[in-house]
Amino acid sequence: MKCNEFERILEQQEGGPLPKAALAHTEDCGTCRVLAADFDAIHGLALELATVDADPPERMWISLRNQLEAEGVIRGSETAARSVSPANPGWWTVFQRPAVAGAFLGLVLAAAGTIGYLSNFAQTAVQSQLTPAQEASSVPSAESVFKEEVLSVGSDSFAGLQRQDTAVTDSIRRNLQIVDNFIAVCEKSVHEQPDNQIAREYLYGAYQQKAELLATAMNHNMTGGLQ
Amino acid sequence: MNATCNRTPVRVGALGAILAGFVLAAAPAHADRIEKHFPVKSKPKITVRNSSGRIQVKAWTKNEVLVAWTNASGKETVETEEAGNRVEVSARMNEDGASADESKTDFEITVPVESELSVRTDSGNVTVESVHGDMTFDTVGANLQLTDVNGYVVVKTIDGSLVCNRCSGKLEANSISGNVQMIQPALDSVRVQTSSGNIYFDGSFLSRGIYIMKNFSGTIEVHFSSSDSFDLNANSLKGDVVNQASFKPDTHGSPRPASKWGHSFIGTMNDGHAKVELSSFSGTIKILKRD
Repeated sequence: MKCNEFERILEQQEGGPLPKAALAHTEDCGTCRVLAADFDAIHGLALELATVDADPPERMWISLRNQLEAEGVIRGSETAARSVSPANPGWWTVFQRPAVAGAFLGLVLAAAGTIGYLSNFAQTAVQSQLTPAQEASSVPSAESVFKEEVLSVGSDSFAGLQRQDTAVTDSIRRNLQIVDNFIAVCEKSVHEQPDNQIAREYLYGAYQQKAELLATAMNHNMTGGLQ
Repeated sequence: MNATCNRTPVRVGALGAILAGFVLAAAPAHADRIEKHFPVKSKPKITVRNSSGRIQVKAWTKNEVLVAWTNASGKETVETEEAGNRVEVSARMNEDGASADESKTDFEITVPVESELSVRTDSGNVTVESVHGDMTFDTVGANLQLTDVNGYVVVKTIDGSLVCNRCSGKLEANSISGNVQMIQPALDSVRVQTSSGNIYFDGSFLSRGIYIMKNFSGTIEVHFSSSDSFDLNANSLKGDVVNQASFKPDTHGSPRPASKWGHSFIGTMNDGHAKVELSSFSGTIKILKRD
């Protein structure tokens, strides 16, 4: 079997077990083996996100926090409380470190993209098995990835954005508010009309805009501009 | 190759003071205009990074990039770098705590007609005239005006506006609250998205072109000519779709029913050679024939 044939089969399987010939190909071809493993991981994550009871976001963020604490990048979780008072700038200060901020930006943007992609993917995969009520409840589960840590970041949390260029700071704050309002309106529409795919797409678009806006804000905070 | 540098003092108001026989007290209305010349070969890539101020880019026929700037406060330094056919210009603050006005640097840049541009700035106005080449613009609140440009243009802004006069090539623009206007364009690919801004298109839909315009709450207004040939799909989930032209039913490909959500309009003008998709969450979509 050739690699392109394997890819075609992998595409058609949609997460199901691979035929023997394809499995045999993965024994010989490292690239396709890695590709198959990636597909498995994505499919597994998609199903997990679509499950109402599962709570991967919490684990993900706890794991991230533990890793940062272990590496000494941040202190213990007690001190990482979400306070943005000048005396205790809180978790936001972690983004003063470019490496951490860079990692976070990547995570934020990946999460935004993944939410849109995986929600559609998971929705397609489980659509036939879900009642309308279950389908509706699967959406907040995917959204919770973002809500836990990113959507809760309000414009008042930008302690680091209190720079000299108030016009730029005001612009970012004002547009954060606009996007937050859009998210609220879209969420309302999705909850009122769970099978309205167009409203859902607008919601994911608004999430992505918020992620990009936060990324711009952090970039601006670290460099003093769009450098 | 080494760049050459000229420094030309400009004293605003000094001439009047001398003529009047008065000695003016030292005033901040004093700025040095600095110029640098960079000889380049064809199609150079020019990168400009600024925090605040005006950026004007024009084209000429010389194989040379001329960068001139003025920083009234003197609190910003402009660094330039030339490597082969690449020229980079960055304005940097000399000290922390400078105000927005103090960090304002105005640029006048003249480039060969065939040039690539990359501009990053927070605020101020950016104008580009008659440049042919790929361009990217990344701004927070800077307004962008492009005139007679040709190429693949990518614009990302938070609340800056974009006005595109007689632009040709491809345009991708993404904004949150900025307005986007395309006037007499000859673009064969348009992907414009803004959240609360308005989108205005007054031009021709070229054969085989794809035009996607999307917003959340602003108005999308499209003016076209009766000779244009395109398939149209317009949908506003919570707003209205106002069509003042007569279309025939879409006969291309698989028949796609209008969305059951919101207000939709699907139709074909002439032979449907181009594809036009207009969508809004709660804004109004206006479809108007020019003649």
